[in-house]
Amino acid sequence: MKTVMEPKQTNTRIAEQPRSENTEMKQAALDVKHLNIYYGENHAVKDVSFSIGKNAVTALIGPSGCGKSTFLRSINRMNDLIPGARSTGEIQYDDVNLIGDDINVVALRKEIGMVFQKPNPFPKSIYNNIVHALKFNGIRSKKKLDGIVEESLRKAALWDEVKDRLHESALSLSGGQQQRLCIARTLAMKPNILLLDEPASALDPISNAKIEDLIMELKKEYTIVIVTHNMHQASRISDKTAFFLNGVLVEFDKTDKIFTNPSKKDTEDYITGRFG
Amino acid sequence: MDNKTMTMAASQRLLKKSNKSALQKEKRGKYLVLASALLIISATIAITIFLGSKGLQAFISNGVSIYEFLTSTKWNPTAENPLYGAVPFILGSFAVTILSALIAAPLGIGGAIFMTEIAPSWGKKILQPVIELLVGIPSVVYGFIGLSVLVPFLRDTVGGQGFSLLAGMIVLSIMILPTVTSIATDAMSSLPKGLRESSYAIGATRWQTIWRVLIPAAMPTLLTAIVLGMARAFGEALAVQMVIGNVRSLPSAITDPSATLTTIITLNMGHTTFGSVENNVLWSLALILLVMSFIFILLIRYLSSRRQF
Repeated sequence: MKTVMEPKQTNTRIAEQPRSENTEMKQAALDVKHLNIYYGENHAVKDVSFSIGKNAVTALIGPSGCGKSTFLRSINRMNDLIPGARSTGEIQYDDVNLIGDDINVVALRKEIGMVFQKPNPFPKSIYNNIVHALKFNGIRSKKKLDGIVEESLRKAALWDEVKDRLHESALSLSGGQQQRLCIARTLAMKPNILLLDEPASALDPISNAKIEDLIMELKKEYTIVIVTHNMHQASRISDKTAFFLNGVLVEFDKTDKIFTNPSKKDTEDYITGRFG
Repeated sequence: MDNKTMTMAASQRLLKKSNKSALQKEKRGKYLVLASALLIISATIAITIFLGSKGLQAFISNGVSIYEFLTSTKWNPTAENPLYGAVPFILGSFAVTILSALIAAPLGIGGAIFMTEIAPSWGKKILQPVIELLVGIPSVVYGFIGLSVLVPFLRDTVGGQGFSLLAGMIVLSIMILPTVTSIATDAMSSLPKGLRESSYAIGATRWQTIWRVLIPAAMPTLLTAIVLGMARAFGEALAVQMVIGNVRSLPSAITDPSATLTTIITLNMGHTTFGSVENNVLWSLALILLVMSFIFILLIRYLSSRRQF
């Protein structure tokens, strides 16, 4: 599934374009242009344009209801599940527009995985939580499955804690472990991009720190987009930060710049805790 | 707090007072609800004891063999050499119950999935009132429709008399369908929303999500729905009696007429005298019904204890 979208095979169109744009494309995992998202009458995301870099962590911050989660969910088309949601504009990913009607959302979600705020493991064993997703992909060989289970659990820094009880119920794990299992489950699909929707906000500080370490580790291999309410978390783990307010992208820049010397007053007010 | 209470000392505001009238009101309410609870409990216990003693009388004072009762297929309490084999009715009850559950379970769960997963807006708007209507129809109406429409239809299409296990099964499955559907709908809609989303988020299709994630997660409650439906089918008398044919012999095919524990009791209780052997064996049949309903309840309790959400 993954190879279909690999640049090598789909590069013909890009290759015909000027060289400068080619290199720029290579660095952007997602190129958002004039994206608008509506929930019925509610205009939730307003004309947002920016580029999300490859193998980097991009944090989306802003007060509740500012459209950051809506934006995140539009990247892997989770908003399709909400009746009345529609979007216009572009999210360019490789050579396709993810907003298009012709996107196979099932294939898309395997390449762009998502982890939610509340850990939501399936009520199955730890092992089967991961295998489950792989079986959807048609992988059935026991040996292969075992290999991927170990690999993904290791990547999610959970292997050592659960290797002796892989066949126990995933619901017996602590909240932080459950969340790392959800990350492992997503990694097992071998995605290109990880979308994290406040992945640590429901967890205790120690689990939170573990998730942050994990994100720093995962960034070497994956493009990560994370929504967070925690300013410190955003400043610790992200390379770039986007600040949303009332559906508008107010400012997007290097994280250092946003947190030390923001160019917009709204951004400054928000990060200094004057509202939100 | 208003000003008046603010000026009072904490000891006046917070310490327990020996205020008689207020105390009595509290007590009166407590006794009222306690009495209701005791009444319900004692009614249940009384029915169980009564059924137990009446049901065992046939074996203890009338000398009917329990072994014969539970293993023989010959039933003729009014013959010169009376025969008390209840097997045809026990099997008949189980047959219609299981067969109707086999029809109602997939239909009911399918309907529930349609309402919760496929068309939550308009599906629910149409199906919900239909189900409520089905619950409201009295069982005699089901039986009457079965008798005047289903039985002739079966007589013309599959042959035989039309009165059959098959007719009973079809009527019962329609009667228990609302029970199964409404509990299954609750089961599906009470699943955490995140479960659905996380399944879609790892690239499952809608069918994979329903089949591999949602149904397994809801399974204990779905089974409860089926068992509750079965309990209703097992106890239903009137509608079944009108279409099943009520013969004393074992059916050899699904199109043969048959009888159940309930239909034999309702048919015969009118022309047996209280205290006679013929009457007492009917109580024994009723005792089997009671024991079975206890078993159904235990099963439901066990299944609910395995609920994860």
